[in-house]
Formats: sequence, C-alpha cells, structure tokens
Amino acid sequence: MKLELKHTFDEKTFRHALNGHGVVLHCHHYMSLTTKLAEDFADLGAPRVLREATEDSIRPMLDSYIKEHGVASPEERLEVGRQYFAAMGMGTMEITGGASGGTATLKHSHVDEGWLQKWGPHDKPINHFTCGFVAAAFAAAFDKPARSFQVTESASMVMGAPASVLAVKPA
Amino acid sequence: MTVLRDQVVKSLVQVEVKANEDGLIPGFNVLVNQLPVAFWNTVAERLMAITPPERKAEMESSLVNCAYECGYHTGYGIITSPEFQSVVMPMVTEGAKDVLRGAFAVFTAWGWAKSGIVQIRDGERMVIRAVDYYEADGGGSGHRAYMVQGVSKAFMELAYAAPYPNGMNTFTCEQTQGIEVGDPHGEFVVTKK
Repeated sequence: MKLELKHTFDEKTFRHALNGHGVVLHCHHYMSLTTKLAEDFADLGAPRVLREATEDSIRPMLDSYIKEHGVASPEERLEVGRQYFAAMGMGTMEITGGASGGTATLKHSHVDEGWLQKWGPHDKPINHFTCGFVAAAFAAAFDKPARSFQVTESASMVMGAPASVLAVKPA
Repeated sequence: MTVLRDQVVKSLVQVEVKANEDGLIPGFNVLVNQLPVAFWNTVAERLMAITPPERKAEMESSLVNCAYECGYHTGYGIITSPEFQSVVMPMVTEGAKDVLRGAFAVFTAWGWAKSGIVQIRDGERMVIRAVDYYEADGGGSGHRAYMVQGVSKAFMELAYAAPYPNGMNTFTCEQTQGIEVGDPHGEFVVTKK
C-alpha cells in the first residue's frame, strides 16, 4: 500500500493542505523548543498536553484517509500511520502490534535528531509528539476512542540508543 | 523594482516538499516538518488553558520564544538558501529592507501568515500586517499569534541587528491587533529594545 498524498495551496489565503487537512511547514528548532517548553512546564502537566494534542490533531487525518480509501485491516491502517509520519518529515517508523499492544521503533526521528542537533544528548526520553502520534495510529487502526492506548518510550536516541522504541499497551 | 510578495510565493510553492528515504525533510540548514495546523494551535491553546493566571505571561513568552529562535535560525537558512538567492535576490534593490520583504514573502509561502510589511523605519521599527494566519483559528482568549510575533522579531534582527548568530535580543514585538479577537487583520509592531 502506498499512501496517496494530495497537496493543495489556496491562492486566496495562501494556506497549504495535505489530503484536505491544513498543514504548515516548520523546523526542528520549533519542534525542539516546543518539546523543551513542555519539559520546562512539566509541573503543569505540559508533556501530557503535548502528547494528547498530537493524538487529537493527527487522528482526524488518519481517520479520513482510512474512510476515504476503505482501508480495512488494522495492519494496513497502521501502515497509513507509518507513511503519514514519514510524509510529514517526522522520520521512519516500524510499527507493529494488535489491539492488546505493540511496538513502534524509530530508525530516524525528527524529534530526536532535531533535539540532538540543537542541544545534544539528554538524560530522559523527549518523544512526547511521537507517543501521541503512535497512540493515534493504534486507536485509528483498532477503531478505539482517544486515550485507548498508553505509549511509553523505552529506548531513546537522545539518551544514546541507536533507535527510539515506543511500547504500546491498552490504557 | 522591489520584492513582489505574490510573485515570490508563486515561485516558492512550486518547490516540492518531500521527505527523503529517512522520512526527514532537510532544507534551509534545518530539518523541516509538515504538520497539521490543528496540532500547533491545539498545543498552544491547551498549554495556555492549564497555566494558572500568575504564570500566563511566562507561558505566553515561552510560546513566542519557540517561534523566535526558530525564526532566527531558520530565517537565516532561508535568506542564505539557493532558493532565496534565485527567486528573491534578483528583485532586491533596497538592501536590507528588501531582504526583509523577501523573508516575509517566504513566511507567507510556508503557510505561516498571509502577511507583509506596511511600515518600516530602517533598523528601528517595523509594522507587519497579516490578513490571514493559522493561529487565528486557535481557541483561547486575547491575542494569541505567538508564532507571528516571534518570527517577526527574528526576521527584523536578521536584517538589522549584529550579523548572524550574534544579533538576538535586539528587537521586541508586540501584537496590537488580531483576527482572533475580532479585528480585520493581525498587526505586529517590532521595535528596537
């Protein structure tokens, strides 16, 4: 299965869309600083906000693609998530599993590599965005509501691991 | 001739944004991402919502700073890129002022805001007007174009402060009007500190 991507540009508003969903270009500085902001405001629960905002904003893109293209099997639906992740410039992800849980492994990661470029190694995982993305991918694959899956980063590039690994289990 | 924003935008949107085999989009000396506007707006809205009143100013300034640092580094990558050199530089006849106009044309082409410079006093003050920007779609209260504020300040520094990377914290930016609060456009005033 190859993800079909249609990019459009509105000549009146000058806004971009990918498969009908508004998108915008930003850079690893913005993502790294947003991730750092979440860490800095951890006492307010900001990392959770970042994860949940990701899950809630990515899910509509996955759901509409799955519906419009009649993607039926959970495996193919996870593949939709994997390919969207790459198309957005967020890296390469191997994602496997079932309704009882699974794993996502990042061989390349915009969040991790951007953080390493900007600040170097860190003492804890920082992939809040990807945790939210993977939660959305699993929930879309198995027709579950938001917050159905708990995603935990068990290995992290910013901590020196060769790949970031995210463990998925039902919430 | 000066920099014609719409002409620059039309040229730059032809440049295909496509991830490489590693799922990354290197360009302009940074890694680019292409995420839903709903993501950025939801993050800002919910972060502001969880912040107690006594820390709202701190959170707002942190959100602006995310875009400010991004705008400074990426902005430098943009104005020194081959794309900028080929599309914008042939139109530059007024030095730094035109480079700045070109940077805001790229700002528009990337989908940040349909914006332009309406007033500029060399090295001192600049007024940006945006008739459409995605942050206006976000929920919350008060002015909340954090990204436009941060990037406007950064671009002014790239044009008029000490040469990159030594020009940060020279200018400040205040949002004076916002579509999100019912004004017909967003307005951003950049002044020297």
